[in-house]
Amino acid sequence: MIAQMRVRGLMFDPYNNAYIVILRDEDGGDMLPIWVGKSEASAISLALENVAAPRPMTHDLLKAMLDSFDAKVISVVITDLNENTYFAKIHLLYQDAEFAVDSRPSDAIALALRANAPIFASENVLRKQTSEELEQWLENLKPEDFGKLDS
Amino acid sequence: MEPADTHSSESLVALRMHRVLEDPNTDTRILVLCDETGKDLLPIWVGAAEGNAIRLAMDEVVTPRPMTHDLMKNCAEHLNLKIQRVVVSDVKNSTYYAAIHVVSRGVERTLDARPSDAIALALRVRCPIYVTEDVLKRRSSGHLDAWLAKFETPNSEARNT
Repeated sequence: MIAQMRVRGLMFDPYNNAYIVILRDEDGGDMLPIWVGKSEASAISLALENVAAPRPMTHDLLKAMLDSFDAKVISVVITDLNENTYFAKIHLLYQDAEFAVDSRPSDAIALALRANAPIFASENVLRKQTSEELEQWLENLKPEDFGKLDS
Repeated sequence: MEPADTHSSESLVALRMHRVLEDPNTDTRILVLCDETGKDLLPIWVGAAEGNAIRLAMDEVVTPRPMTHDLMKNCAEHLNLKIQRVVVSDVKNSTYYAAIHVVSRGVERTLDARPSDAIALALRVRCPIYVTEDVLKRRSSGHLDAWLAKFETPNSEARNT
């Protein structure tokens, strides 16, 4: 079973000096936090805010490559989250064949947002990632921690 | 979309990545490319993340998870797209432009790219890197000498102590 997720936001985590992409299950309301680095966060932020960079950023280039050969991003699936290793799959459709490409969730999300492709999380991931951790973390946040990504 | 096409008739000079220089004071990296003789240098200023992506490829570091350019390479391999060559094709207002030439079943597409992405990808797929003669002529390596002088001295001293 998989659940469709939406990117709810992007926050800076001052304790780990990293960023958190917050995904939310559209039906169940489950939250899935994914910790990412600064440049990964920036790639997601540009897509969320619909910013057209003067030059193509790396994920724009990836999308341009797929577009120019009529390959389509069908969906991306976050398949597993371990301590420091996160797994996702990008599902591509090209010449009537389907391909699943191994990816970090940050790249998968950055591409999905640009390609308007749905983002899914496996139930296994949602179960594993108890949102208690996130809620506790959110409670500790100060208002100034919110706001736009400073890239 | 396809700026390199206007240059396709021009002669190209093959380049290789020489090194990535680091500016400890800013978030800047300098890609230093050189021609086959090692005499002609082309410096290109890039961001820290872009410089790191290239350094990882130069050092052939295998990261636990695929980095973004690895993903791009893997996508191309899955779809049987061949990345044939990358060309640093233009420079306008100190911004360099590159073109990535991709071929599949006799169909060639040219992708507009930042040189940092083009080079990061070229190193991973082991395809040639070129610059147009025109761009090489208009490069500003004058700055590079100043940079080299500034950074090599403290570095080499540090190594000796």
